[in-house]
Amino acid sequence: MKAPTARNLPALLQALRDEGFSGTVRVSGQPGGTIHLRDGLVGAIETPGAPTLTSTLLASGRIGDEDWMAACAEQPDADRLGGHLVAAGLIGAAELEVAAAAAVFDGAFAMALSPPGERELGEREPALLAEPGVEPRWLTEETSRRMALLSRLWGPPSELTRVRPVPVPLSGEARTGGWLTPGQRDVLDSVNGRRTPRDIAFARGRGLYAVLLDLVRLEDLGLVCWERPAAPGIRPSTAPRVPTTDASAAAPPPRSAALPRRRPGGGLPGRDPGRNGRGGW
Amino acid sequence: MALQASLDRLLESPGVTGVALVDAVTGLTYGAAGDLAEAGDGPEESRLAALIAERLGAAGAEGELESVITTSTTRLQVLFAVRRTAGDPLLLTAGLDRDRANMALALRSLGDRADEVLA
Repeated sequence: MKAPTARNLPALLQALRDEGFSGTVRVSGQPGGTIHLRDGLVGAIETPGAPTLTSTLLASGRIGDEDWMAACAEQPDADRLGGHLVAAGLIGAAELEVAAAAAVFDGAFAMALSPPGERELGEREPALLAEPGVEPRWLTEETSRRMALLSRLWGPPSELTRVRPVPVPLSGEARTGGWLTPGQRDVLDSVNGRRTPRDIAFARGRGLYAVLLDLVRLEDLGLVCWERPAAPGIRPSTAPRVPTTDASAAAPPPRSAALPRRRPGGGLPGRDPGRNGRGGW
Repeated sequence: MALQASLDRLLESPGVTGVALVDAVTGLTYGAAGDLAEAGDGPEESRLAALIAERLGAAGAEGELESVITTSTTRLQVLFAVRRTAGDPLLLTAGLDRDRANMALALRSLGDRADEVLA
């Protein structure tokens, strides 16, 4: 079944909300993903771009692997697994609601980082669900807010997700200059020049958007740096930069050639949702 | 749902006019009860908490931010850090009517109950 001719994903989800549709919306693309709807509300989003609720609960250590396996064996229906986790005392009902909602919003954000591809409606599939599900309109508004905020703080969010940050070697004086949250400290401990923000999010069981915000803060504090894809004349940098960025700007590494380049005045019109700050998902 | 019920219960405290549970990192509001404007705006509250925590840290304070209390002659605006065993920290934000709340008691009671919101 092909999706009705809605002009974009938010419009489609709103139409499906009005219909009270239960089922899946598969979106192709990079990363693409599957949106699980129940009565038109968004219950879960599975995308390779961000950790799912299951990943966040397990990777963060909130629920142990053995407890999880046992719960899945006792309640094989994923739609009902959430209730079972609560009944088994593995997590509080309200805490599960919070974690589930966080995962839905993070999944939507990750999917909005690249232009959505083809959409296809499908049958209902079992999923660990946010209850109550999220109103599509709220999801769209929040996704737009996140894209706009990151664009303002740093630049195109889609570029930010591709960086591979390294810690900046600092003298003792500079090291104590900033106060970090546990999450920021965790991100700082995770960067090694190979991991992308997505890798860090999956490894730590945190949201991609939260990791990006922490990275931007760490860069502002001069604690991490990365080679930024060269984009002369598009967005003059206003944030304080660490000295190493000068060298990378003068001689862009070969890796950056493979990334989509924005061109002065033209860029990739309408193809990079991070540029205009609107969620293109 | 469970979170809504927890937040609704907090509204029963004297003087509390609005409460919300907010993600301290993303600013997402997970739930709210009462007057939403008086509970506070999620992104704004999370920015405020981060800024104050940073200032406290820069001033040499150790440990985590516990609460932020703002008063006017008629209103109280409070924000409590909600502890979690895993996952990003949360903030419980609340607006109170000063005429109807004994400030010390209300803060104590809300602070004590902040961690129960996730139960």
